[in-house]
Amino acid sequence: MNLRETQADPRTAHIRRLPETLVNQIAAGEVVERPASAVKELVENALDAGATRVDVTIRDGGRALISIADNGRGMTPDDLRLAVERHATSKLPDEDLFHITTLGFRGEALPSIGSVSRMAITSRPRDAEEAWRIEIEGGRIVDPKPAAGAQGTVVEVRDLFYSTPARLKFLRSARSESGAVQDVVTRLAMAHPDIGFSLTDDGREKLKLSADQGELLDLRLARLGAIMGREFRENALPIDAEREGFRLTGYAGVPTLNRGNAAMQFLFVNGRPVRDKQLIGAVRAAYQDFLARDRHPLLALFLECEPRAVDVNVHPAKTEVRFREPGMVRGLIVSALKHALAGAGHRASTTVSMQALGSFQPEGANSLPQQTSFTGGYAYRPSYPPISRPSPGLSAAAYDFQAPHTLTGGFEPAAPSGMGETVDPETGEVSDAPSYPLGAARAQLHATYIVAQTDTGIVIVDQHAAHERLVYERMKQAMDAGGVPRQGLLIPEIVELDERAADRVLERAEELAQLGLVIESFGPGAVAVRETPALLGKVDAPGLIRDLADELEDLGGAFSLKEKLEEVCGTMACHGSVRAGRRLNTDEMNALLRQMEATPHSGQCNHGRPTYVELKLADIEKLFGRR
Amino acid sequence: MKLTIERAALLRALNHVQSVVERRNTIPILANVLVEARDGMLSLNATDMDISIVERTPAEVGQPGSITAPAHTLYDIVRKLPDGAQVDLDATGGGDRLILSSGRSRFTLQTLPTEDFPVMAGGDMPHTFDLDAGALRTLIDRTRFAISTEETRYYLNGIYVHAVTEGTPALRAVATDGHRLARVEIELPEGAAGIPGVIVPRKTVAELRKLIEETDGTVTVTLSETKIRFAFDEAVLISKLIDGTFPDYERVIPTGNDKVLSVDRVSFAQAVDRVATIATEKLRAVKLSIDAGQLTLSASSQENGTAVEELPVSYDRDSIEIGFNARYLLDIADQIESSQAEFILADSASPTIVRDAEDPGALYVLMPMRV
Repeated sequence: MNLRETQADPRTAHIRRLPETLVNQIAAGEVVERPASAVKELVENALDAGATRVDVTIRDGGRALISIADNGRGMTPDDLRLAVERHATSKLPDEDLFHITTLGFRGEALPSIGSVSRMAITSRPRDAEEAWRIEIEGGRIVDPKPAAGAQGTVVEVRDLFYSTPARLKFLRSARSESGAVQDVVTRLAMAHPDIGFSLTDDGREKLKLSADQGELLDLRLARLGAIMGREFRENALPIDAEREGFRLTGYAGVPTLNRGNAAMQFLFVNGRPVRDKQLIGAVRAAYQDFLARDRHPLLALFLECEPRAVDVNVHPAKTEVRFREPGMVRGLIVSALKHALAGAGHRASTTVSMQALGSFQPEGANSLPQQTSFTGGYAYRPSYPPISRPSPGLSAAAYDFQAPHTLTGGFEPAAPSGMGETVDPETGEVSDAPSYPLGAARAQLHATYIVAQTDTGIVIVDQHAAHERLVYERMKQAMDAGGVPRQGLLIPEIVELDERAADRVLERAEELAQLGLVIESFGPGAVAVRETPALLGKVDAPGLIRDLADELEDLGGAFSLKEKLEEVCGTMACHGSVRAGRRLNTDEMNALLRQMEATPHSGQCNHGRPTYVELKLADIEKLFGRR
Repeated sequence: MKLTIERAALLRALNHVQSVVERRNTIPILANVLVEARDGMLSLNATDMDISIVERTPAEVGQPGSITAPAHTLYDIVRKLPDGAQVDLDATGGGDRLILSSGRSRFTLQTLPTEDFPVMAGGDMPHTFDLDAGALRTLIDRTRFAISTEETRYYLNGIYVHAVTEGTPALRAVATDGHRLARVEIELPEGAAGIPGVIVPRKTVAELRKLIEETDGTVTVTLSETKIRFAFDEAVLISKLIDGTFPDYERVIPTGNDKVLSVDRVSFAQAVDRVATIATEKLRAVKLSIDAGQLTLSASSQENGTAVEELPVSYDRDSIEIGFNARYLLDIADQIESSQAEFILADSASPTIVRDAEDPGALYVLMPMRV
């Protein structure tokens, strides 16, 4: 049989306009690739409509039903009819694609979804008496009819992708699709803490976030805590930085709170959740000193800027954005994070102490009767007096003995300098002394751990880890102050790269030279290495250059060189620091504690492990059932 | 196989061959040494597939034959036997055992069949020349410190040996690690004029140097483009060569340097060593400030402080400041035998030439460190 008789030969067929439904189905392929993307479009519509609460219901991972109910401003019957037309939108009032203030703007979502499902929209404008309902089935629009409905809009999408079986086939299991829906709703909820969200999946309430009143930043922290976990709320450092019209706010976790993947890193640009390679690079740059390569911090950052400074019209799903000045944005993120981390100083995550307490928990502790009344607890345990705070004012002089002789500047007691009475372990004297955050050293256990008493609890310090960090920070300071000495190469190493990679590396030549790597162009696609950082000794220059080229592409920054240098410093620091097993006297222990307080980033070792654990008195009391 | 040998003779031969055997091997037979007894001689052969060393020594052979036994174990046993002991090696008992007995000690060692032992074939080696052992030691000693240990530029992991026929004919040894270069030449031996330039691997250099330590005679060198063979006394070392192209080192030896500094070698080395105490352990940066008649060495580190030492020198050009890795300066100073070291400089960023004032055969090039 001749194929030409039955099928139009693409070589000879005339060009024709595709029917509307087909156009919409093609558009749907870009905008709606899975139930989660439909949910995203519809929730964004609800938010753009000024809703203060959004209820999402899905069934069978969104395949059977997606329903989004909001209390936004609603639509009139005429609006309804237009809304399901392609490229019809109430957004983009001034028809300027570079001035986008709403989440949506393409006017594609409703017709696209409508073309691949059975969709119904019921809407009642704020002051209208009745609601109207419009139905679209596989792209066919049924005229609006009056219906019953509350103020706002309810969009119901049934049998998504029923008209495009190929797409249907490629959906994952209901469980993973509903996971993706939850991810989408969560992200949007993080960006809008003033709006209530709920997600019901097959009748089970997956998410319920109420819309509270209050300061936006407080709301946001509460919302982030509800989503990212209580640990995050307790260990988050506030970020607030501004540069050239860009404002970065949000929260970043302390380094000791870390995960094996970057799933808990969120970036929002003008309230729009985006996934951005640059963010990962910037975060890595900021945390590289504190975390091993394969650990990732938790954070949520919100970037606000003039709509014109960012292009959101890069991808139909709008998960990617482009900045006018990517370098500046990256710099802002890195410096804001570094600043916050430096401010955190020696703070270690409370999860560490929670874990410590957890392992202290005596067996069956949970079955012990809870002591609700503090005094009541005592009545039965007369032989255990309450933890006695030493009486104040016995000797004011004793603390001088403990005070470090070389207290470096820059430290201010974080706690209000109320009274922390301390007892000198040798003389038994009690003194009034300024209270230090890490307290006064009381004992050294197993010649490895320093136990110190603070106003509100005890601190256990790993002496080797802590001292290693101190030495390391000092070395880094010296390196920054003195520059990096460079060893000239007798025979310049020629590294062959592809042309774009070579250009990328050469663009950063100046920055690299500051780190001791002097390179120059050697014809297209080749780089000549003239000098290498003397600290690295005989280094594999081609390997280093290739790593740098890859990183510049993936992450936008040259990390591996700095990392290598810091690795050398780290090894030197390890050799040059007090080992476990070395006995320290009280003076030495206190000096170490004071130095930790004065040194930025002393709360974790170079790999994100804590250098000390703090146990609050209240927690200790809980262990003994006193609370 | 059965033989009797004096402990000292066996120890000496074993010592020479066993060091080529790697401590850990994936091929079991490579951990063994091939022991052969024939015609009143004991022959030991060890290899790591790249280098093969054979050493022969007289022994009282009771029954000719051969066996392979663990090299390091055998060496350790013989080393611990008392001085002057007679050692009996007996593999005639059948099975796969070698029995070593000496005085009241008796060891039974596991063996592997001789046929499995990889014998390195020399192949066709067209070039042969004789070299005085002392001259060979000089070539190695003056250059080996500069051999690169960095594996990516494998062609620098050895000493480049080649013949110079233009001008004064010479046999040259060159090594560089990219930071410094050593070039030493001796009079061209007869028969060496036509040799290809070859790169002798670092491990071969080390093994060879150990072997020729006590030799005063002549070493016969035979080579092709892929293999080299050194034979002397009763020992033979065959090694593969590094298959690569040594860079055109002549281009990095500066010709325009004109500032000559002459300094007493011993006091210079001691001063560098003293001043470098202050420098950061990994960096070891030392600065040389050279003025007419005076050299000031200095080092500083954020942690330790600073160090300065002055030395009288002979120098009459413009003042210059240049930094070097102290380790490199000391390495080169170690190579200079006469009392005066000569530095020939251009500026603080260019390579510097160092020479022994009385030895025109040796030349060193050193790249500065920019601090």
